[in-house]
Amino acid sequence: MSEVHFKVAIIGGGPAGIGAAVGLAKRGVGPIVLIERRGEVGGTPMGYRKKPGGVPTFVEWTRGRVVFGEELAGRLTKRLAQTSTTIRLNTQVTKIYPAEKRLTLLGPDGFEDIVADAVVLAAGAREQTPAEKGWLAGSRTARVGFTRHVTGWLDRHGLLPARKPIVVGSDLIAYSAAAKLCALGSDEPVMIDRRRSPEASFFERLFFRRWTRPDWSGGVSTVEIKGHGSPTHLESSNGQEWQGDGVIICGQLVPNTELALMAGMAVDLPSRQLQLAQGQALSQPGWFAAGNVLGGFHGAQWCYFNGCSVARSVARFL
Amino acid sequence: MTQFGTWQPKIRGRLYYNWPRGTCEEALRFTGSEQLGLEPYDLVIIGAGVVGCGLAYQLSQYELRVLLVDRLHDVGEGTSKANSAIIHTGYDAKPGTLESELLQEARAAWPDLAARLKIPVDPIGGIMLSVTDEQERQLTAAEKNAHANQATDVRILSAAEIREREPNASPDVRGGLLVPGESVGDPFMASIAYAEVALANGVDILLGTGIAGVELGQAPGAPVHHLVTDDGHRLPARRIINVAGLGSRRLADGYGGGAFDINPRRGQFVLFDKCARSLVRHMLLPMPSAHTKGVLVSPTIFGNLLAGPTAEDLPLDDPEATHTTVEGIRKVMEGGSRLVNGLTQQPVIATYAGARCACNQGSYMIRYNDGAPGVVTVTGVRSTGLTTSNSLARYLVDGMQKELGLELFSDTVALNARPESAWPGWWRRPFEDGVSDARSDHGCAVCFCEVISEGEIRDALDSPIRPRTMDALKRRTRALMGRCQGFDCKVPLAELVSGHTGIGIEQLTNNGPGSELVAPGQTVCPKEVSV
Ligand SMILES: Cc1cc2nc3c(=O)[nH]c(=O)nc-3n(C[C@H](O)[C@H](O)[C@H](O)COP(=O)(O)OP(=O)(O)OC[C@H]3O[C@@H](n4cnc5c(N)ncnc54)[C@H](O)[C@@H]3O)c2cc1C
Ligand SMILES: Cc1cc2nc3c(=O)[nH]c(=O)nc-3n(C[C@H](O)[C@H](O)[C@H](O)COP(=O)(O)OP(=O)(O)OC[C@H]3O[C@@H](n4cnc5c(N)ncnc54)[C@H](O)[C@@H]3O)c2cc1C
Repeated sequence: MSEVHFKVAIIGGGPAGIGAAVGLAKRGVGPIVLIERRGEVGGTPMGYRKKPGGVPTFVEWTRGRVVFGEELAGRLTKRLAQTSTTIRLNTQVTKIYPAEKRLTLLGPDGFEDIVADAVVLAAGAREQTPAEKGWLAGSRTARVGFTRHVTGWLDRHGLLPARKPIVVGSDLIAYSAAAKLCALGSDEPVMIDRRRSPEASFFERLFFRRWTRPDWSGGVSTVEIKGHGSPTHLESSNGQEWQGDGVIICGQLVPNTELALMAGMAVDLPSRQLQLAQGQALSQPGWFAAGNVLGGFHGAQWCYFNGCSVARSVARFL
Repeated sequence: MTQFGTWQPKIRGRLYYNWPRGTCEEALRFTGSEQLGLEPYDLVIIGAGVVGCGLAYQLSQYELRVLLVDRLHDVGEGTSKANSAIIHTGYDAKPGTLESELLQEARAAWPDLAARLKIPVDPIGGIMLSVTDEQERQLTAAEKNAHANQATDVRILSAAEIREREPNASPDVRGGLLVPGESVGDPFMASIAYAEVALANGVDILLGTGIAGVELGQAPGAPVHHLVTDDGHRLPARRIINVAGLGSRRLADGYGGGAFDINPRRGQFVLFDKCARSLVRHMLLPMPSAHTKGVLVSPTIFGNLLAGPTAEDLPLDDPEATHTTVEGIRKVMEGGSRLVNGLTQQPVIATYAGARCACNQGSYMIRYNDGAPGVVTVTGVRSTGLTTSNSLARYLVDGMQKELGLELFSDTVALNARPESAWPGWWRRPFEDGVSDARSDHGCAVCFCEVISEGEIRDALDSPIRPRTMDALKRRTRALMGRCQGFDCKVPLAELVSGHTGIGIEQLTNNGPGSELVAPGQTVCPKEVSV
């Protein structure tokens, strides 16, 4: 197997990975390879297309504005294009070897190994599955999806994933999903959560009031999804019932740290939180993390700057 | 160079979905019984679970006109898709019963069967653990029982021996029974593989078609009966075999079958992520009670860890027999934690439930000429049907020869294996094993968690039982089965399916009409689609 060598390999081409590439380029570090499993760079924000009547949900602090994800991602991608980073699209890192700083990639030409002097993990995060929550059970129907599906169906295809949506969760992502649905033609969503009051702050909720005032039920206990084939309603153990034809599971991000976990690096369970040292270094020398893979929710621009600042730690290590 | 997805010789059977226009290709759509030919079938199998598929495979070795029909939208989509996926040795069966006999026959047959049909099976072995003094005393009897079932390699282990083999076993473990032959298998692939070969050999398969009743033929001797579908089609059959699992009672009512009562015994499961796989080496089993084998903890063939099942008796026709409950999941976690340390720290990715067909007349109830000549009822295949699917089929074919006068002539060109060129399958990946004919779309992952490529999805869509629902695709490729449960790949997958089959993306379903992926009744605005 051929082994191409790079100074730094970046896993993931979202805002954090782009930030790391831009930051390293500024410091004159190279050659750099950025590996992205999708057909385009930009990461999660790229899925949030600019649409007339749509809802902008990405805060661009440096401009003091809220924009559509693809606008923000587009600006970041331009900055990436000004560097001499090698970009490998449609290529997934399938395995890592921490001690050797070796990565196995699968791309259109098959498997390939590369080695680097340092590696930045910027693999982002995903939303918690219904089963993972532990309080949501019942029928496995269609149209129990994630926020990512809301953007996928609405922004890419103009299709409503539900006419009467039930949003599970109450953070910023949940409100943005509710707003998107409502703005593009669904009924006012029901929003339920275990928490007594919504997770999104008062100001965040105020921002979304223009599009949605979800029908809020907090402090729910355990909930079952009812229906066959398609959902008809949710029912809680204390007798509450919510009608709906689709369930959107929102927020509670789980970091994509499995590459590190399966390779034996220090990762907490069951949270899958990376154990970090100074400078966002991982438990093996030469490995770093940036962006949403750190755990918790971070805005896209924060992730970009976080990537930029990790570049400093990487450069120091090198 | 063999091309993935190609079958030699050609597929001789016909496959139809009884679906509304637009929901699948017109060539796959069932519109009337004339599509199946006018001759009555020699045999119609009602129920395409693993038992029905195994039987179809067996019968396809002979020159017979056979139809396999199911109300669901893929083969093996009922109880056969939601079980513990263990290929049992039968060490704990009641000696002398039909179940024990079929399990013993199956034990001998599985290695060859799995190799021919390309059903992944891993003989990881099991250890039954005793965690109380009373259970420890029962071990000797359990060992004796195993030996009576010809599982002669079963032996008792001390607590120390167990700890050496299973460092994460609970500290409460007093001892156990080593069962070297217990294996884990791919439960989905069993039904699919049987059905693919059966279809290739000329068995017709009709999916999405519930059988509402049977019009019994009145002619003396060997009458022709007619199956009436939910939507009023009539399918002529000389013989009918009812292997409809939990639907068998209602069907038997339709032809005046004898008395028996069945009910769903629900089993809930918790599936853990792959990082949990290393917690155990064998499948760890609890000591069984009179009611149930109890909650086990086992690696899956796919490299995850599984805990379950519960055993909850529900009334027949309870629509929630395959729903999970928070209480049930709690019980699974509790039961699993009695055997294994640290289970609750492991990330859960999914939960599911299956419904065993529990029969008050005991397991494996078989009746020939039940209610009418040429009608066979098989029910109560409760807890071991995956394992016995092949031996039971052999037993039923023998029985039908004797009791129904079924005449058998070998079909000399029939396949008894899936060809090497059957699409790669999740266990044999296009770019691994030195396979030389991989295409570039075999390198573009669409399901990132399980690393399944666009090419593999296309190959699966072209495989003989043309899967046309997301769930059917999932069982063949493992896309959507990983830790993100479709977060990343659900929409891209739907785009891929729509693009490859020409079915409108808004028409795609999870598991057949009524389970559309988006709110029904919308049409795509073509401008929005960016490819
Ligand atoms: C569902 C969801 C909704 C959100 N909504 C908003 C919002 O409305 N407003 C807002 O401000 N922020 C939102 N965020 C947060 C915002 O998307 C993130 O802050 C930002 O995108 C994180 O950047 P990142 O680079 O860390 O991760 P991502 O943008 O997720 O990028 C990670 C990239 O890594 C790639 N990758 C992962 N693993 C591999 C691998 N093994 N090999 C190759 N490539 C890999 C992925 O394909 C992806 O492109 C949302 C996040 C999520 C998950
Ligand atoms: C929790 C659990 C754990 C198990 N663990 C194991 C194990 O580890 N190993 C093992 O070997 N076995 C196991 N089993 C048992 C095994 O799953 C079953 O024995 C087997 O799946 C039964 O197959 P079947 O074909 O009889 O039933 P099913 O798979 O239920 O098939 C019956 C089919 O008939 C169809 N049908 C019903 N009525 C009609 C109608 N009117 N018209 C048309 N079609 C109809 C249904 O749609 C269904 O597809 C387990 C079962 C459960 C529930």
